[in-house]
Amino acid sequence: MRSSIFSSEPLRDIPQTRWTAVMVLAVMVCVSVVGAWEMYWRSEWFVPSYRNSDGLWALTRDRIDDEGGRGVAIVGSSRVLFDVNLESWREVTGTLPIQLALEGTNPRPYLTHIAQETTFSGLVVVGVTEGLFLSPSIGLRGSVVNAYRNRTPADRMSQWLSMHTVEPYVAFYDFDIALFAIVRRQPFWPARSGMTPELPVVRKLANSRVTRQTDMWNKVSDNPDYREVTRGIWLAFLNAPRPAPPPPEVQERHISSLLAEVTADVQAIRARGGDVVFVRAPSSGPFREAETKGFPRELLWDRLLAATGAVGVHFEDHADLQDFELPEWSHIRADQTDRFTRALLRHLRDAQEAGGRARAELR
Amino acid sequence: MLFNSLTFVVFFAVVLALHRAPFLSWRTKKVLLLVESYIFYAAWNPPFILVLWISTVVDWVVAKRIHTATTTGARRGWLLVSLLINLGILGYFKYGEFLLENWVAVAAMAGVEWQAPAWDIILPVGISFYTFQTMAYSLDVYLKRAEPADSLLDFSLFVTFFPQLVAGPIVRPVDLIPQFAVEPAAKAGRLAWGLSLMVLGMFNKIVIADGALAPAADAVFGAGETLAWTDAWLGTLAFSGQIFCDFAGYSTTAIGASLALGFSLTDNFRYPYAAIGFTDFWRRWHISLSTWLRDYLYVPLGGNRKGVGRTYINLMVTMLLGGLWHGASWTFVVWGGLHGTYLAVERFIQRRFDPHPLTHSVVFQMSLAMLTYFLVNITWVFFRAPDFPTAWRMIVSMVTFGEGLRVLSSANVTLVAVPVLGILLIHGLMRERRLEDVVARTPWWLTAVVVGFMVAAIAVSQGSSNAFIYFQF
Repeated sequence: MRSSIFSSEPLRDIPQTRWTAVMVLAVMVCVSVVGAWEMYWRSEWFVPSYRNSDGLWALTRDRIDDEGGRGVAIVGSSRVLFDVNLESWREVTGTLPIQLALEGTNPRPYLTHIAQETTFSGLVVVGVTEGLFLSPSIGLRGSVVNAYRNRTPADRMSQWLSMHTVEPYVAFYDFDIALFAIVRRQPFWPARSGMTPELPVVRKLANSRVTRQTDMWNKVSDNPDYREVTRGIWLAFLNAPRPAPPPPEVQERHISSLLAEVTADVQAIRARGGDVVFVRAPSSGPFREAETKGFPRELLWDRLLAATGAVGVHFEDHADLQDFELPEWSHIRADQTDRFTRALLRHLRDAQEAGGRARAELR
Repeated sequence: MLFNSLTFVVFFAVVLALHRAPFLSWRTKKVLLLVESYIFYAAWNPPFILVLWISTVVDWVVAKRIHTATTTGARRGWLLVSLLINLGILGYFKYGEFLLENWVAVAAMAGVEWQAPAWDIILPVGISFYTFQTMAYSLDVYLKRAEPADSLLDFSLFVTFFPQLVAGPIVRPVDLIPQFAVEPAAKAGRLAWGLSLMVLGMFNKIVIADGALAPAADAVFGAGETLAWTDAWLGTLAFSGQIFCDFAGYSTTAIGASLALGFSLTDNFRYPYAAIGFTDFWRRWHISLSTWLRDYLYVPLGGNRKGVGRTYINLMVTMLLGGLWHGASWTFVVWGGLHGTYLAVERFIQRRFDPHPLTHSVVFQMSLAMLTYFLVNITWVFFRAPDFPTAWRMIVSMVTFGEGLRVLSSANVTLVAVPVLGILLIHGLMRERRLEDVVARTPWWLTAVVVGFMVAAIAVSQGSSNAFIYFQF
C-alpha cells in the first residue's frame, strides 16, 4: 500500500540492554517472590481449594440442564452451603445435590430463577436465614445469575483453565488474601474522623470443592485466635446500628408480598412434578439470640410453611439437629456436617412421607 | 477475550509459538493471525464476527471503487456508502437506544406521550474502534492520501488484528498494512521488550487501576449523596488515575503484544497528566483518537483555515462528537464540550496575548500543568458520573469545599493518594523522555527486578478479570 502520509512513526525502538539476562532474572525474581508468598500463606493454614467464584456457581447451575432437570437443588445462604455435606447426601440417596446456595445472599431470587427460568422438576431445598430471606435486597452475591446469563466463551475457558491449572495447586489464590484485601484490612489504619465506621469484611470461613461442597476452614474451628477474629466480625455486624424497623403495616405488606412470590415459585415447580422444602439450619450464641429476638418463628417460618404448604425442617424442632459445634455461632464445623446431613435427610424424608409427598430423591 | 485473563495467556502463547514457527510461510502465518484474531473476538460473542466482516468487505470494496472511479460524484457516492454503512452499524448498536430515548423525551415535551419499545441490543465490543479504523481506510483513499491495499488478507488483518481490535490504538492503514507485506526481520530484544511492555500494561490495569484506585472511585461515584469535598476530590483523582492506568494499560499491552509478534503500533499516551495546556493534553491523551478526529473531522470541517469564528466552531464540533464517540450519553457530550471550551479558551488567550518572558519560567509552566490537571479532573466527573445529578453533586462539593458524607476509609485515602502522586511524579519526570531511552540507560538487572516484581504483584493481586473501561466505548 503506497501512501503519502503517516500518522506517526510506524516502527518502534527496542531499548538496547541484555534482554536474555533481563528475562532470566525477571523470572527468577518473580518465582522467588510468588514462591515465598505461597509458602507464607501455607504456613497460615491456607491450602489449595476451588474458588467459590461466579464461574464455579455457573458450572454447578449447568447441572440443572445437563442432568435433565431432576435430582436435588439447594438454594440458600451460607448455612446450607456449609452445613449440608454433599458427599454424605450422595451416600444416603445416591444423588449429588446441585449446591447453588450463596453466602450472604437472599435465596428468593434464586428460587425464582429455578422456578421461572429452568424446567427443574426435582426437589429444591431452600435454606432459610431469616434476616437474608426477608431482606428486600439480593445481598452479597447478587450478581451471580447475571454473570451466569452473560457468560462468554472466554469466561468458560478461563474458568476451565483456572480450575485445571491454578486452583488445585495454589494456596494463595484466595479472595481473602488478594494483595489489596490484605492492605485494606490492616489494623494500623486510623479511623477517619467524621466517617461512619465501616463494617469489617468477612474473613475466610471455608474451603470449596469442585462440587461446591463447602467445608468450614479448619483454622476457624481449630485455631482459637482466628475463631475470635471471625466472632468479632459477626459481633460487629450484630451490633451495627440498624435503621428503625418499618411500621408494622409496611412490614406486613412486605411479608405478604414476599410469601405470595415464594408461593408462586413453589407452585410453578410443583406444577412440573417437583417440590420444595425449607430448612432452617442451626445457629448459636449471639446469632441465635439476635435471630430469636428479631425473627420469631411466627413472623416468617410458620407463615412460610403455611402459605406454601411445603415441608420445613427447623433445627429447633429436632434434638439431633442441635447437638453440633458452631465455632463462630453460624456454621457447623466441617467434621460434623456428615452427621447433620444424615439427620436432616431423615427428617426431610419423614416429613415428606407424613405429608403424603414422598420423594424419590430422598430415598 | 480479555488481556487480563488466563484464556489470553494461553491464547497468546499459542499465537506466539505459531507465529515464530520456522516451518510456516509468511502467508500461512498471516492467515493464522487472521483466524486467531477472529477467535479472539468471537470469544466474547461469536455472531458479532459478522459485523467485523461487513465492515471489512464494505471498505475493501468501497476503497477500490473510489480509486477507480472517474468522476467526483462517483467517488463521493462510494465514500458515502462506506460512511453510511459504518456509521449506520455504529448508530444502530451504540446510539439507537440513546436516540430513541431522546426522541421520546422531545415528543413528550411536545405533548406526545409515547412509550418506546425496549431496545435490547448488545453492543459489540470494540465497535467504535474498528469502524473508525476501517472508515479511515476509505477516507484516506478518497482524500488521495493513500492507495487501496493490494491484498485482501492484509486488509482483513488490519481490520481484525487482535492486539488493538477492541480498544485501540486506532491504527491508520498506512501505518499497519505495509507491515504485513513482508515478514519482519528478526531483531534482538524485540520479543523480550514486547513481553515487558505487556507486563507493564497489565501491572497498570490489574494492580493500580483495579486493585488500588477503582474501589475508591466506585465508592465515591456510587455514594448517591452529597459528599465532603475531600472525598469528592479523592474519588475524582482516583478515577483520573484509574482511567489512565486502565486505558494506557490496555494500549501498552496491545503495543507489547504487537511488538512481540514483530509489528509496531503507534503510541497512544505520552504522560498526559504532565500536559501544559489542552492542546498539549490532546497530544498526549488517546493520541490515536485525537489525531483521527483531527485528520478526518476537524481538518475536513475546515480546521483553522476558514477564519477565527469557524475555527472555534470546528473545535467545538470535533470535541462534542469526540465526547459522543465515548458513549451514548449527554454526560459524555458535556465532557467533550468542556474539552472543546478549554481548547477554544486556550486558543483565544494564545492569540490575544503575546507570551511574557515569565511564562517560560519553570514555576509558571508547572502552575499551568497543575491548572490543566485540575481542569481535566473536572471533566472526569462528567465522564465517570452515571448521571447529571451525581455529576453536579460532585462538582458542587469539589468547588465549594462543601461538607457532606465521608465514604473513604483512611486505607482507601492512602491507596488513592500514593498511586496518584506516583503517577503525577512519573508523568512529570517523563514528560520530555521516552520509556525506551530510560530503559536503555537503566542497569539490566534493575529492569529485570522491576519486571519480575510487576509480574509477582499481578499474581498476588489476583485480578478479577474486570473488563477494561474503554471496552464499553
